[in-house]
Amino acid sequence: MIAIVDYGMGNVRSVLNAFDYLGHDAVISSDPAVIEDAERIVLPGVGAFGDAIANLRSRGLVEVLHEQVLVKKKPFLGICLGMQLLAKSSTEHGLHEGLGWLDAEVVRFGNGNGSLNGLKIPHMGWNEIVPARDHPLLERLPAKQRSFYFVHSYHIICHDQTDSLASSEYGYKFTVAVHRENIFATQFHPEKSQDNGLQVLQNFVTGAP
Amino acid sequence: MRRNTVLQKRIIPKFLLKEGRLVKAVRFHESFREAGNPVTTAKVYDAYGVDELIFLDIEATIRSQQTVTDIIERVSREVFMPFTVGGGVKTHENVNRLLRAGADKISINTAAVEKPGFVREAAQMFGDQCITVAIDYKEVAPGVRRVFTHAGQQETEFEPIEWALRMEEANCGEILLCSIDRDGTMSGYDLDVIERASDRLGVPVIASSGAGSLQHCIEGLNAGASAIAISSMFLFTDHSPIKVRSYLSSKGVPVRASTSSRN
Repeated sequence: MIAIVDYGMGNVRSVLNAFDYLGHDAVISSDPAVIEDAERIVLPGVGAFGDAIANLRSRGLVEVLHEQVLVKKKPFLGICLGMQLLAKSSTEHGLHEGLGWLDAEVVRFGNGNGSLNGLKIPHMGWNEIVPARDHPLLERLPAKQRSFYFVHSYHIICHDQTDSLASSEYGYKFTVAVHRENIFATQFHPEKSQDNGLQVLQNFVTGAP
Repeated sequence: MRRNTVLQKRIIPKFLLKEGRLVKAVRFHESFREAGNPVTTAKVYDAYGVDELIFLDIEATIRSQQTVTDIIERVSREVFMPFTVGGGVKTHENVNRLLRAGADKISINTAAVEKPGFVREAAQMFGDQCITVAIDYKEVAPGVRRVFTHAGQQETEFEPIEWALRMEEANCGEILLCSIDRDGTMSGYDLDVIERASDRLGVPVIASSGAGSLQHCIEGLNAGASAIAISSMFLFTDHSPIKVRSYLSSKGVPVRASTSSRN
């Protein structure tokens, strides 16, 4: 069973719908007991970083996620804000501390490694991803059109480049997927990226170790 | 084949909902036409590989909101792309309910005018990126445009671009620009307003109202829009999203080439 963590941050139903469509047993829950029972854990989320961390804390979810993902090494997928939360910190509306599972930080577009040159924020719509290496999470995608749906104003910067699994370009190159041991995450929304996205979710279930 | 590593321009069918069915009018209130079942139509457009869908509830009553919520729930079980939903959204509870039903972005129009602070609060609570402000405007005298609320029935004092800038300042994530004069006429987008709005705003602009030909689509995007909303042209002409996309691509506009293989 896949536990989709509900912590009051946005549209979690779409993630459940996508796993249902693929025929995988998934539940939305904020109950630590359900997360402990799950074989895989998905942390979705849209909204503000500070609120998200506060919600995870107030529901007692930080400890259970830590135990299940970092100690028991269950396969974990973070999506969008659920990826950014893995960083050590974010500068979204003040400086906030993240889960710190990755040596990474989250910054606003245009404060990263280059200029946006007048590009619009949020980075909203379909952009192509370029995998840094072959990886089970990104298997069986079309060779030419690896487009995914994004909507975000902040992005992650990995200080350990081996964590970065794929990048896209918006003004400059930035990390859009990460992998470290049993931890996977995407900045894009696989549950909203039609066939390519469903393939990534399928890969997480069947291909992730 | 050209490799896109840029953000692609979006093609967005816009659906108006009335009593659980799709409808389309001219200039908002003239000659309503029935345009089908929203769930099956959404699946058809999913198969075409459009980039997003917009659903607007034009009744905007308590009962119609429940109907629309049900429709969004049904669509989101089978269609895996972003949806913007709006029409009569006036409270945080309305926003939350639609998001939980499967919407990704909520379009706010009348409440943005009537309740100062609503857009800012909603952006704070649900995230900037999921609050789209829809601006319906009309030319009320030569060269003078005003924002209208209540499905285009009530004139306000606001000039549309100035209003868009204020909504950006209130942290909305996107602006949907609808020209009431052109809506449903298939006579082309209001390029002057789209161009000035796109120039001045830091958030993406969706051009809406007036698309009737492939040429109109490219004009809207060349004017600076990040996305084009299309309604009548898809519903009542033989221009499919596939045709629009291949035309735009042939003209060098970055658009997504993939189509769904699930249907």
